[in-house]
Amino acid sequence: MSEPVVRLRGVSKRYGDFTALDAVDLDVAPGEILALLGPNGAGKTTLISIVAGLVRASAGEASVLGRDVVRDYRFTRRAVGLVPQEINFDPFFSVEETLRFQAGYFGVRLSEDRLEEILLALDLAGKRHANTRSLSGGMKRRLLIGKALVHEPRVLFLDEPTAGVDVRLRQQLWAYVRLLRSRGTTIVLTTHYLEEAEELADRVAVIDRGRVLLVEGKDRLLERQGGKTLRITLAAPLAALPAGLHALGARLAEGGRAIEVDARPGGSFGPALAAVAEAGFPVGDVETRRASLEDIFVSILGGGTGGDRA
Amino acid sequence: MNGLGFRTLFSKEFRRFLRVPGQTLLSPLVTTSLYFLVFGWSLGSRIQEVDGVPYARFILPGLVMLGVVTNAYLNSASSLFVMKLQGTVIDVLVSPLSYAEILGAFVAAAVARGLIVGGIMWIVGAAFTGFGVAHPALALLLILLVAAGFAALGFLTATWAASFEQVNVLPTFVVTPLTFLGGVFYSASMAPPALRWLTQANPIYYLVEALRWSVLGRADASPLIGFAVALALAGSALLAAYAVLRSGWRLRG
Repeated sequence: MSEPVVRLRGVSKRYGDFTALDAVDLDVAPGEILALLGPNGAGKTTLISIVAGLVRASAGEASVLGRDVVRDYRFTRRAVGLVPQEINFDPFFSVEETLRFQAGYFGVRLSEDRLEEILLALDLAGKRHANTRSLSGGMKRRLLIGKALVHEPRVLFLDEPTAGVDVRLRQQLWAYVRLLRSRGTTIVLTTHYLEEAEELADRVAVIDRGRVLLVEGKDRLLERQGGKTLRITLAAPLAALPAGLHALGARLAEGGRAIEVDARPGGSFGPALAAVAEAGFPVGDVETRRASLEDIFVSILGGGTGGDRA
Repeated sequence: MNGLGFRTLFSKEFRRFLRVPGQTLLSPLVTTSLYFLVFGWSLGSRIQEVDGVPYARFILPGLVMLGVVTNAYLNSASSLFVMKLQGTVIDVLVSPLSYAEILGAFVAAAVARGLIVGGIMWIVGAAFTGFGVAHPALALLLILLVAAGFAALGFLTATWAASFEQVNVLPTFVVTPLTFLGGVFYSASMAPPALRWLTQANPIYYLVEALRWSVLGRADASPLIGFAVALALAGSALLAAYAVLRSGWRLRG
């Protein structure tokens, strides 16, 4: 990997007896999209908050472009943009004022061209003079992204950018993230959604209980973990599976009304489908399902629940 | 130095209170005008003079001090607390603004509101009692120090507070009682012994007296004590606010 844009070495964060981050080492390469995956309370937000300067590490070192985030905070914060998980807005001001203030905090005079570019890219041009209070939830979330981009950061942290947003907005945000990456912005996004990581990420870091469990390329992770399940709904229930299907790893579900078969990535459902056809079962429906994030976690965490933690 | 960042945060804070002038400028003006009318006009017609000064003119410096103190405090306290509540404090904390720049911008905007409210109150009151000021530069210096001190106290309180009720603790249970018992409406030398003792043990009394001296040219207490109290208040409150901001307590996890 070339010189990392973000480097964490032994970074820990403790709140009393609770360890939110435990000696984390992580490098983020220039121009990549890194997805931080993990359940609630895993430490994802704490990790990016330390780099953005919002939280102080209890131990370890975090740097951006080779500069320490505490000692050289003026430099590193100018290089970082943070889109927080929770929507925030200042009800006293308009969209334009909000963006201009945010640029000013970073010592940047927002040019008219840059302002228009951000407003157009985030579909907020029509709301330029609207009070932020009047924006819809989706618009407020887009405004958060605009605020994080006004100073043209080298690294953009997106904390659960699509949590609770509708499909259309999600697609828009993904498209914009890709556009930013194509312009050279390094992006770190936290997400619960494997689908989001699949869609966007070059690499994936899985974090749980404050520890980074693995960091690897998305394609490799999906190859290892992202199996599929074939589900055949039957018109009439079965009492037992024929031996041929059983040998393929198939199982009965829904009281015999469905047959399910798992396949590793790259594996084929052809033999199972052929066996069903050969057996002459009346088929009602056929669907495939990619492994969910929960499936991945269960696998990576060695059978742990990976459930919510405060 | 992030000069543009400082000016932007100051400008944002300044414009914030101008966006709600009814609440931030008109409301304290109405309240204090009522004090002035009730105590200065109706009661003043009976009291006539205090140490040779018409009663309405006698109470005006104290009322201005009350307005400055309350508004400087409330501006930084309510603004920072609302930012914490709304989550917009993040916008400032992730920026390359230094602690001094953040605190300075909040305090400067709060001082500006205190000066505007105090100035309006002064103009309204002086229209009835006369515009003469014995030591205008010292009056302004005192007001600046006091406003900066209470603005820093507001910042500290908002950093600590978890509810609006806590934000209002200081003005409701400390500032207002101390101001009312701080010789705004009476002269300590004319008060009964117990009230006189209580008044003279009250630091706000010396601030009111110092402003009274600066405006009227006379006061019961030495103005030097008032200036020393103002300087100590501003210095200690600003240092404490800076130290708390730097520590990250309740702002940075």
